[in-house]
Amino acid sequence: MKSVANKKVSIALVIGIILIGVLIFYFSHQDTLTTTNTGGEQDDKGVLVLADAGWDSIRFHNEVARLIIENGYGYKTKIIPGTTIVTFEGLKRGDIDIYMEVWTDNIETYPKAIENKEVLEVSVNFDDNRQGFYVPTFVIEGDPERGINPLAPDLKSIEDLPKYWEVFRDPEDKSKGRIYGAIPDWAADKIVSEKVENYGLDKTYNLFRPGSGTALSTSMVDAVEKGKPWLGFYWEPEWIMGKYDMTYIEEPAYDEEKWKNGGYVCAFPSLPVTVCVNKEMPEKAPEIVEFLKNYQTSAALTNEALAYMEENNVDVIDAAKWFLQQHKDLWASWVPQDVVDQVEEAL
Amino acid sequence: MLHNCSNHLNIMQAFPEFISFKLGIYVEIFVEWLLDNFMGFFDALNEVILWFLLNTEKFLQWVPWWALVLMVFLLGWYFKKFSAGISYAFLISLIGVFGLWELTMTTLAIVLTSVILSLLIGIPVGILMSYQAKVEIVLKPILDAMQTMPSFVYLIPAMMFFGLGMVPAVFATVIYALPPVIRLTNLGIQNVSQEMVEAAYSFGSSPWQALIKVQLPQALPTIMTGINQTTMMALSMVVISSMIGVQGLGYEVLTGISRIEIARAFDAGLSIVILAVIIDRISQGIADKYKISE
Repeated sequence: MKSVANKKVSIALVIGIILIGVLIFYFSHQDTLTTTNTGGEQDDKGVLVLADAGWDSIRFHNEVARLIIENGYGYKTKIIPGTTIVTFEGLKRGDIDIYMEVWTDNIETYPKAIENKEVLEVSVNFDDNRQGFYVPTFVIEGDPERGINPLAPDLKSIEDLPKYWEVFRDPEDKSKGRIYGAIPDWAADKIVSEKVENYGLDKTYNLFRPGSGTALSTSMVDAVEKGKPWLGFYWEPEWIMGKYDMTYIEEPAYDEEKWKNGGYVCAFPSLPVTVCVNKEMPEKAPEIVEFLKNYQTSAALTNEALAYMEENNVDVIDAAKWFLQQHKDLWASWVPQDVVDQVEEAL
Repeated sequence: MLHNCSNHLNIMQAFPEFISFKLGIYVEIFVEWLLDNFMGFFDALNEVILWFLLNTEKFLQWVPWWALVLMVFLLGWYFKKFSAGISYAFLISLIGVFGLWELTMTTLAIVLTSVILSLLIGIPVGILMSYQAKVEIVLKPILDAMQTMPSFVYLIPAMMFFGLGMVPAVFATVIYALPPVIRLTNLGIQNVSQEMVEAAYSFGSSPWQALIKVQLPQALPTIMTGINQTTMMALSMVVISSMIGVQGLGYEVLTGISRIEIARAFDAGLSIVILAVIIDRISQGIADKYKISE
């Protein structure tokens, strides 16, 4: 028995020594063993933090910015995920340095943060976006290739919706139709629920709360792939809109009175989606702020990149690289020439 | 592109890229094949579960609140003691005071449906496991996966089979809550003393009779613990359920944390805790009552 016990002790000792040896080796070589994200210079320029608020287009813009910042300017970057409001608070506090897509109307504390200079708005990323209610185009026009008959041929605007409620019947409450709403994270949630009430749609429809962006997208993709009707809130740019043919349900043109005091009974205004930085950034990394001031794309461009990503089954980093390769004229005007060269080398 | 002391250290840090095989794509192909060929089956299953859920929910919302409070009090009193009954009744009334009664009934409907389904599937499987060692070997890693695989991984296919809402939520909850009752049923039956079982055989009972009359009653306390654990796990899935379209307490919590409304999240969270505590104590009380002392 004793010899077995001795054997176990010696094996334990050997394992312990190996572990300690590995740890000592690691800690003594740490500066040379760790690598940067994409291989820029290794001098001590600090780490810039970007926000991932959970949707694809912001992730895409993050990667485009990172490729330029890391390869052109030599900073390391890091991404922090979170919900819209949580990440925006992080931006105010300085945990996050750069926010590539601030959907300004969705954040209640935005105007105040700008006023108090906690956050600096440096440029408008794009402002040709659209939010509202969408249906798959085949619901209105039919799709002879798939054998789908047009179920709602005269559906054009929000006033036509009540008469087509049966097309969008709610499986959990067969007496009404179902509209897929927004998620509690977005300001659109409150806006959509007030719209449904104020347009009188709650008499013929139930507003369904999907609970997460994933659930909302999955329900739409599932319906479109199966050729079934779907009605719900969505926005552009987003990869789904680039991939599937969806029709926007028209609402009365945007009018400030109707929006603010009339309970949102008109189309969503086109939001300026801005790029913002934390107030310390001009001191911390002035050349990056200069670069971001020139950062401007469009909803169409973003849609294009997102659709590329989905169709070729690549991740955001590859889509960003592809975008930079395709649109050199665009981004070359944002940065000085030496940065252009360095980024091109890395691509 | 790497700044390190020597290139051969490279292979020590990053897993060699040329060894690459992505298993998930086959799972994805399998899911799509199921979607193409078995939709009729899933639709039928969906209808059945949905019918059961909606009727349970309607029933619970129809029962007047004071009747439910009274029932909780009586259950607490009978299975534990008088003071327990009072405190449980008080706790459940608190949910009403928070203004969350109706939402709680929705959550309760889903939890009850999931638990009943889990028991219907779990107890027989647990019994099977205790009899056949091979079944145990095959099932054990599957049970581990069911408990640790991040829920959204199997939720997205579930949303494609069943749509959004209560049915995929029940599906996810059952997957997560099933392992405890299976494991503990297995354990309970295996722990029944061999002498007792042999005594039963020597008195002429068939294996079936031995199971029903000797093993199950003996294993009951452990099985009750399994039921109790399953219920707790089902309650913990409540917030995830809200992320796929279930209203109820989980959605309140989700809204609270998304909008940083701490008060709202806390009230809803506390209600979930209250539900858990009441169900836990009452089911423990039932288990204690049925304990057969040796």
